[in-house]
Amino acid sequence: MADNRRRFLVAAIGTTGAALTALVGWPLLRTLTPDSGEGADAQVRVPRKDVPVGGAKFVQYKGKPAVVLQPEPGKFTALSAVCTHLGCIVKFKPEQGDFECPCHGGRFDTKGEVLAGPPPEPLATLAVAVDGDDIVVG
Amino acid sequence: MTTLARKAVDWLDERVGIREAFRENATEYRVPRNINVFYSLGTVLLVLFGLQFLTGILLLAHYVPHPDQAFDSVKRIVNEVPYGWLARNLHAVGSNLAIVVLLLHMLSVIFMGSYKKPRELTWLSGFILFNLGLALCLTGYLLPWSQLSFWATTVSTEAAGSVPVIGEYLVRIARGAPTVGGATLGRFFALHVVVLPLGLLAIIGAHLMLVRRIGISRPPFGKPGEVVKKGVHEDHPDGIPFFPNYVAEEIAVVSFVLAGLFAIAVFSPEVFIPADALEPADPFNTPAHIKPEWYFLWAYQTLKIMPTEFIGLAVQGAFMTFLALLPFVDRKAERHPFRRPLFLSLFVGIIALFIGISVWGHYS
Repeated sequence: MADNRRRFLVAAIGTTGAALTALVGWPLLRTLTPDSGEGADAQVRVPRKDVPVGGAKFVQYKGKPAVVLQPEPGKFTALSAVCTHLGCIVKFKPEQGDFECPCHGGRFDTKGEVLAGPPPEPLATLAVAVDGDDIVVG
Repeated sequence: MTTLARKAVDWLDERVGIREAFRENATEYRVPRNINVFYSLGTVLLVLFGLQFLTGILLLAHYVPHPDQAFDSVKRIVNEVPYGWLARNLHAVGSNLAIVVLLLHMLSVIFMGSYKKPRELTWLSGFILFNLGLALCLTGYLLPWSQLSFWATTVSTEAAGSVPVIGEYLVRIARGAPTVGGATLGRFFALHVVVLPLGLLAIIGAHLMLVRRIGISRPPFGKPGEVVKKGVHEDHPDGIPFFPNYVAEEIAVVSFVLAGLFAIAVFSPEVFIPADALEPADPFNTPAHIKPEWYFLWAYQTLKIMPTEFIGLAVQGAFMTFLALLPFVDRKAERHPFRRPLFLSLFVGIIALFIGISVWGHYS
């Protein structure tokens, strides 16, 4: 009888403890887990005049830096500006017509393909469309 | 002692028994007679951690953990707050020195085989303290919100992204956002000033309790003294008194380290506060050749030379796990390094490898 009572008490305390841990743990985890950023700035509008032929315009897209280019007159492209090596932000070199990551010397062409250095993958390509005087990324 | 002071001590003694505690833990507490200078590194660390707490509190009174104000508040501390430059420099240089002493402490314990049975938990708690020290350095590095802080944190948090499946999630949890920003500063600040110091204090308490309960290990060198065992506890009846004899030696070593710390903090802080640390963070402008701090260079270079970052992380994880479980892997009783040729070769080889990889990382 005493053993049964003890077992019941241990089980009850264990269950209550687990329930309380979940009750505290879930809000704690949710507080520390940020939004993925996917919903934020789902589309970014950039005035066409800000992107000259052969030039680049850096913008914030879904919480991360991106770059809009006009490699040929009237043709626009957009790439993620986050280097695929260790997450530094690439710099556009207009005189060379390519991107360079200042952290560890990775180089990408204007299509995002790796030209040199340690990056394991190309820069991500983003959807881009022209809407009147604006370029719409995303 | 004046009558008033004696009365105060008597009053305390009646209630908490401080005279007996002092006798047991200081004047009648004996340490091995062949004890060497490396045994004082624990005390040096206690003093350095104490100084980090003190200077940290002084900085906390003026620092603002907000991306728009953090850099300026540090600038104000250094340029306007009376002796703020001293508190800041001591805190920045002291953190580096603490890592140096932590490494020396760990290496001397490994070299003398002091991690072995029955001191497995003492070693494990020390290993956790070492990791907490590194975590404090990593989180504190971001707080000045300089170009160096921002990009070093970007690179270090990005590394977690190479973990399969949950990598992206880990990066977001670490940063609090897709990229390093205000959310990252907030959580690093909370970790640096509350969570990690509390953890450090708790583990230091456990470490000291274990050192005292099991007793100081006898060095494997020099003329061995007598050892009396009571269970796992070791007493050294013919040893030297901890107080005042050994404490005097420790004060000498602590003074030497503090002299070095103050000399660097006052005359050459640029050794640990380089030019990129004087520019405010610019999320769109990565400075050239960003490198982590010297104690993370081995990890950084390992990530670079391995075929994939995940393999690099796995190698680092395997090595750190091996180090944590060292007393459970190496279970032979022999502690003298010159009677353990395989151990000695590994010890020298691994240190040389680490220095080599770090230098490579620095110049790559």
